[in-house]
Formats: sequence, C-alpha cells, structure tokens
Amino acid sequence: MIKLRGIAKSFGKQEVLKGIDLTVEKGEVVAILGPSGSGKTTLLRCINYLEKPNAGEISIDDFSVNCRKPAKKDIHLLRRKTAMVFQQYNLFRHKTALENVMEGLVVVKKLPKEEARRIGAELLEKVGLADKLDAYPSQLSGGQQQRVGIARALALNPEVILFDEPTSALDPELVGEVLAVIRKIAREGITMIIVTHEMGFAQDVANHIVFMEGGLVVEEGPPKVIFQAPKEERTRQFLARYTSDSAYSI
Amino acid sequence: MQLDLSFIWTAFVGLLPAVPTTIRITVVSVLSGFAIGTFIALCRMYRIPVLHRAAAAYVTVIRGTPMLTHLLLIYVGLPLIVDGLAERFGWAFRSVQIPMIGFAYISFSITAGAYFSEIIRSGLQSVNKGQLEAAHAIGMTTPQALRRIVFPQAFAAALPNLSNSVIGMLHGSTLAFTVSVVDIFAQAEIVATTNWKFFEAYLAAALLFWGLTILIERLTALLEKKVTRYNRGGVA
Amino acid sequence: MGAKFDIQYVFDYFVKLLPYVRISLIIVAASIALGLIFGLLAALPRLYRIPVLQRLSQLYASFFRGTPILIQLFLLYYGLPEILKLVHVDITRLPVLAFVILVYGLHSGAFVSEGIRAAVTAVDRGQVEAAYAVGMTGFKAFTRIVFPQALAISVPILANLVIATLKDTSLAFTLGVMELTGKSQTLPTISRHFTESYLALAAVYFILSLALERLFLFAERRLLKHENLTIKESRVLLRRKWLNRRENVKAAFSKGGA
Repeated sequence: MIKLRGIAKSFGKQEVLKGIDLTVEKGEVVAILGPSGSGKTTLLRCINYLEKPNAGEISIDDFSVNCRKPAKKDIHLLRRKTAMVFQQYNLFRHKTALENVMEGLVVVKKLPKEEARRIGAELLEKVGLADKLDAYPSQLSGGQQQRVGIARALALNPEVILFDEPTSALDPELVGEVLAVIRKIAREGITMIIVTHEMGFAQDVANHIVFMEGGLVVEEGPPKVIFQAPKEERTRQFLARYTSDSAYSI
Repeated sequence: MQLDLSFIWTAFVGLLPAVPTTIRITVVSVLSGFAIGTFIALCRMYRIPVLHRAAAAYVTVIRGTPMLTHLLLIYVGLPLIVDGLAERFGWAFRSVQIPMIGFAYISFSITAGAYFSEIIRSGLQSVNKGQLEAAHAIGMTTPQALRRIVFPQAFAAALPNLSNSVIGMLHGSTLAFTVSVVDIFAQAEIVATTNWKFFEAYLAAALLFWGLTILIERLTALLEKKVTRYNRGGVA
Repeated sequence: MGAKFDIQYVFDYFVKLLPYVRISLIIVAASIALGLIFGLLAALPRLYRIPVLQRLSQLYASFFRGTPILIQLFLLYYGLPEILKLVHVDITRLPVLAFVILVYGLHSGAFVSEGIRAAVTAVDRGQVEAAYAVGMTGFKAFTRIVFPQALAISVPILANLVIATLKDTSLAFTLGVMELTGKSQTLPTISRHFTESYLALAAVYFILSLALERLFLFAERRLLKHENLTIKESRVLLRRKWLNRRENVKAAFSKGGA
C-alpha cells in the first residue's frame, strides 16, 4: 500500500502541489487526470524523488520517508521500491534493448549476468520485442522504445510502476501498441500510477481515478462514478472537453 | 648550401631517440590534464561554492594566455615558491632538484587541464538529463549513474574534441625546448646545427610529427566507430 | 633567475611591454588576412571536387594542421630560401618578420580551409533547395543564401582562430622577432626579475584575447540578428539547432590545446 500525506512542492514562488493526500491499495491501477499544469506529473515525480517535495510523507507498506528531512539512504530505498516509465522513454542510449532491461538487475539488484539476461529476454518477449534484443534505442520506433521502457520498469519487480504520460510523445499510430502492453500488465495485478491524457484508456484500465487541478486533488473515486456522475463542476467540464476528442482509446 | 635529400633519412633516424621524450610529455600532460579537467568540470557543473568561481577563473586565464607563458612562469616562478617554502619550513628539498622535464610536465598539465575541462563539460552537457533520471529511477546511486550511464555517453560525444586536444598537446610539447628538454624539436635543432643541414633536419622532424598526428587521428576514428555504434540509426 | 618577488616590477614591465602589442597584432592581422586567402584558395578545389588540386589542398591542410607551428617556423625559415634558390629566386634578404607572417598565414590557412568546408556543408540542404524553388540560380543561391549563413556560423570559428594565432605569435621570438614574448625575455636581463616580467606578459596576452573575444561576440550577435526575428516558441529550438551545428563545426575544426 502506498500512502502520500500532505505532499507539497514549490518551484521558486510557484506552488505546484498544495498538500496532496493519496492512498493506493496493492494491485490497484490509479489514473491521474487533469489539465496541463495541474501538477500531476510533478506529483508522480515526487513519489520516486526525481522532484524533491518540500513537505509531506511518502510511505510504501511499512517504509516511509519524511520529506522535510529525507536521508540519502531512504531516497535510494524509495527508488528501489518504485520504477518509472518516462514520457520521453529515456532509454539508455548507449545500451541495447536487452542491456537496458538488464542494467538495473545487474547494477542495483546485483543479479548474475546470465540470470539478468534470461529475465530481460523474457520481459522483452512479453512486451512483443523478442526480435529486438540487440537493437539500440536509435534503431527502434517510439512505440518500441516505450515498450522497452516498460520492460525495464517491470524487471525491477517494484512495488509500484509510475507512468508519466507514457504515450504523449508517440505518433498516433503507435499509441495503441503501448497501451495494449500496459493493459496486459495491469491485469497481472501490478500496482500502477498512470498520468495520462487517454481518457478512454483510463476509464477502461484504471480502478481508481484521481482528478487534479491547480495543485490539489479535486475529486477521486472509481471510474464509473468519476466518468458518469462526477460531483465537481470542474471535473465535469474537463471530461466534457476531453472525452469528445479522445480519439485513440481502444 | 645544397639540398641533401638522403640526409632527411639520416636526420630521421637521428631523431628517433627523442621520440620517447615527446611521447612522455604528451601522455603525462594529457592524462593529468584529463584528471584536472574532470575535477574542474564537475566543480563548475555542480556549482560548488567558491571552487566553481576559482575553476572558471583558472579556465579563462589559461585559455586566454599562450601555453609558452605558462611554461615560462612555472619555470621561473615555481622555484621561488618551492625555495621560499623550503626555507620557512626547513625542508631539505630545493628547486634545483626538480628535473627540467618536471617543469614541462607541471606546466603542460595545467594548460591541458583548462582545455580538457571545457571539452568534458560540453560532453557531459550533451547527455540528456533524462538519462540521469532514468538511472535514478531504476535505483542507481549518483556515482553509479555517472559511471555507467553518463560518462560513456559524454565520452563518445567529446571524442573528436578530445582527439584534437591530444594533438594540440603533442604539438605543444615542442615548447619544452625552452627549458632545455631534448624532445623531437630540440633534437632536430641539434642534428641541424651539428651537420649544418637545417632544412633536412626540420623536414624530418615535421614528417615525424605529421605521422604521429595521423596516427592519433586514425586511432580516434577507430575508437569513435566503437563507442558511437549506438548512434547509428536504421532498423536493426 | 632568482631575485625576490616585487610586484612593482610587474606594473613596470607591463607598461614597457605595451609598445610591443603593436608588432604582435600586426603579425596576427597580416597572417589572418593571408590565412583567409590561402584558406579560400585551398577550400575551393575541395568544395568543387577538382581532381588533382583537391588532393593537393588536402595534403596542404593535413600537413599544416598535423605539424607543430614551431617546426613550421624553422622549416620554412631555412627551407624556403633553399627551395626558391633552385628556381633562382633569392629571398635570403627578406626580413624575418615576412617569414613569420607567411608561416602563420599558411598555418591558419589550413584551419580556415577546413572551417570554410565545414561551415558551407553545415548550411541546411533545404536552404539551397528553397533558393532554387524561388527561382534563384546556383550562383545567386550561394551568394545570397548559403554564404551569409555560413558566414554567421564561421564567426565563432574565426574568433577561435584569431585568438589561437595571437597565442601562437609568442613563438615568433624563436626566429628573433622582437614581439611581446621576445621583449619579456630581454627586459629583466639586468634586474633578474623574470617572474614579474612573465606575469606582465601573461597579463598583456590575457587582456588582448579577452578584448578580441568580446569583439567577436559583438560581431556574432550582429550577424545572427536574423535568428532573433523568428517567433518566440521556435526560437529556443532554432537556437539550439544553431548551437549543435556549431559544436559539430567546431569539432571538425578546433585547434585543440596549445
């Protein structure tokens, strides 16, 4: 179980997160929705400390980090319990698809190379890239790169995978293959937090929707409630604007 | 004076004993320049208080003055400092014990450090910030991420500039003659004056340096092919 | 060596060195002017792929970039009169300064030719195509579109070269030219305050290269004015593109250490 308490973050004078509370149960798939600049990506990046929150508490099961005075060791531990899939993929450019997946296993988890290779090949097969093990990122399409990114995250066997707008940088025709992979692993009961603009996908895959605006959680609940009978006027407006042009839902 | 083409070969052979000195000066200044440069680049990129200002001043001053002035200053200034300190603290060591080539090593390393730091800095900056984030996200510590992810990519990006600077230091090593070190150039001068055949001796020296330069360029090209393999697009 | 350090001498020598700035700058200006001519002459056969000449200009660039300037100075100083004697031209009475300028000219010309090549090839192919598309001839496309853009790309390269040449002039004393470095070595012969003299020397060079750098930065801003006319959003991208491009050109060209 992941618990966020009072997460706050400012960039200079601008308050981006104004105290966020969020609880994610084990195996839950949470989709964070909201307009640009609502702070959803920043929140996600706070969870693995790529952004340093100014205040609040992050806990995963019985491990917790006090964001006012985090120890280096705790940040490291937090990152080992989480994994992230980036909007810009951020595959290691000088490593092949397989090496990208193996990297964390070998360096962080200290697995022997052969075992890491076996796990890596297995995961790449799972995301449909069994024939691309030795390809470098520059030789892969955006959709393929993102699927390697997902395999890299899965390899670490984390408590939660954070998805930061995983399809925003993709050409429209490549969105489907990535969403299909995310859907597949969602069914396996891995805890996931997804920041996305794909409303149809969120409605379909998530079992918990969080709507954010202006650095605050405006409304949260099961997709049925949020999409069909939102309580807040702002949620309704946002969804009305988006559902009309969410063309790539599958 | 007559041109004596066959003497070029004689001179060439006469220069060979000085080759190790030239190479030693180049290698020492490149290696320690690389170490100094890395330290300076990191100081500046991580904006370490006070140090990063000092580092910036060092780079500007060294790059703004000829390599020869660095050597001359070290040659006359270092003994003043060393002997001054020795007197105050009662060391037995005196500046006359510093071998001549030591002045070249020290001064050229200082020169190289400034140039390398700029190359290393631009190499590091060419690596996308997302690479470091991704490394952190999979649980690497910062030193691990730097060593395994950032440095290899920065090195590949900086390679052409590094090679240029190595060649620059090779050519600069000829300045060592001013502190009476017998490198290839100084040896050419000796061969020239003892045989009264200046053109032939200097031509032999020029050919030797030309060959060494081309060798460095070829080796770089090979290395570049290896380390930038990942950059070539196309479908695998 | 070995007089006690006295800061007063630094100021004293600094002032005494100032008159010799002129001669160093004359060497720089004359040899860069020569270098631009040599460089252009050497670049043309390679840009237009003229058979034999192309190989020759490659050889020229490779030799003058592949050997130390110090050796070039001595090689030409002793060699050129002998070679010219074979065709019955006597230049033994030419002043040393002329040799020095010629050598620095040939040296920088090699770098200029590489720079021109890199700058011209760095201009987007699309720019030429667009020029043809609006009906320009090949000549017009080059003079009106490619050249101005290549020029802007070249400014930082030229700046580097001029400053590098200034620093290289410190070697002219080896042939007996009384420029800044030569003077700095003779000034303290009586006083023995060499450290102070060399500090003053370094200060003069430093101020000169800083001033030159500023000058070129100013020129670059003026030449790059057209970049600022593009709308705000795309400006960041464009600017970055320029920088990248410049980086490549620099890599192909930069003089490295010394």
